[in-house]
Amino acid sequence: MNLHPMKLVTIVCEAYAKDAVTKLLHEVGAHGHTLFPVEGDGSRGQRPGDIPEFANIQIEVIVRPETADHLLQKLGQDFFPRYAMVAFESDVRVLRKDKF
Amino acid sequence: MEILDAIRANLLSPAVLFFALGLIAALTKSDLKFPEPLYIGLTIYLLVAIGFKGGVAIAEAGIAKVWLPALATMGLGALIPLWTYPLLRFGGKLSAVDAAAIAAHYGSVSAVTFIAATNYLTAIDQPFDAATNYLTAIDQPFESYATAFLAVMESPAILVGVVLGKLATKQAGADSGASLKTAMHEALFGRSIFLLVGALVVGALCGEAGMRKVEPFFVTPFQGVLTLFLLEMGLVAGRRLGDLKRVGPFLLGFGIIVPLVNGALGVYLGKVTGLELGGATLLGALSASASYIAAPAAIRMSLPDANPTLYLTSSLAITFPFNITLGIPLYLEIARRLYS
Repeated sequence: MNLHPMKLVTIVCEAYAKDAVTKLLHEVGAHGHTLFPVEGDGSRGQRPGDIPEFANIQIEVIVRPETADHLLQKLGQDFFPRYAMVAFESDVRVLRKDKF
Repeated sequence: MEILDAIRANLLSPAVLFFALGLIAALTKSDLKFPEPLYIGLTIYLLVAIGFKGGVAIAEAGIAKVWLPALATMGLGALIPLWTYPLLRFGGKLSAVDAAAIAAHYGSVSAVTFIAATNYLTAIDQPFDAATNYLTAIDQPFESYATAFLAVMESPAILVGVVLGKLATKQAGADSGASLKTAMHEALFGRSIFLLVGALVVGALCGEAGMRKVEPFFVTPFQGVLTLFLLEMGLVAGRRLGDLKRVGPFLLGFGIIVPLVNGALGVYLGKVTGLELGGATLLGALSASASYIAAPAAIRMSLPDANPTLYLTSSLAITFPFNITLGIPLYLEIARRLYS
């Protein structure tokens, strides 16, 4: 099987940041993303998740390595100071390279 | 003392007692929790029920009676941030963007506070124990079309607050966050306002005949659903209580005094625009209430540099519990004095 290396960027953040993050994903050229509600706690307190606006979300997006760099840099610069958020990348391999 | 009886009647209502139960559950770290779909379901039910009922009342009363107090309510909503902003900025020494954010929350409204107020005024057929004088039935008639005031008062303050915050951050050369357009979209088409206005229109189109069809579902179980919802609100507010020590004494006082002032203003406005005593009380409760769903969503997007702990804690952990326990009976008392 011919697999291609890509980066999976995972963003866990307060639900209020959703629109701003998805807008950024479009700007850096991501072709799609997956979003799900999550629970947990962190430095900015508990996020129990019964009121969707007060909850946490996790956004996952697969992008090319250079796009991942760009995305994480933007997040660190514009988002980390304002929103409760963590973001990280990991290596993944995909079948259809052109899809990302 | 009439006022003490009025407060007692409120504190001993099922809705407020369940709110207290929710607070206790949160404070004792009970694992009691509402799943998100139930929370959403209950809010949809409450907004549709109150909107529909209000719409039917508009159809009956005619728009000629509603437009003047509605317009005045809108104006008051836009003006409240203009007087609370300087108070927060210079009295409370808060940053400009925090002051603007909190001002927006206090000008906007809490639908649950409004619904709790209507519920309080309609305390129906409570068993009255003459010996202990325990449960006093309030039974104060009010204009059901007051829901229209709830609908028009939600957005103006959010927009004024965002503009104030934007002006302040622009002066500091650090504007960030989404445009005013995004805030406007959130303030006008966010799910609560959309549903409320939609249900008002549907109710106005259906009129009394439509009401008879949905009454068993939207009217009879209403108090029970509200009670359940306030249990959840107790949990939500209770989780915020820990943040009280982080907001400082100024906001603690602000969260109680400002609702009283705005409540009195609202009651007065109700009187001069020709509402009955009950309707003026509702307008007081509306003006006194602070938003904790629509405003935070719009503010977090448009003014991301404002500290959410400050505005959420003051509206959710101070003002909301104050209003639904002591505030509402006090606004009724203010109205009674003003009308006597």
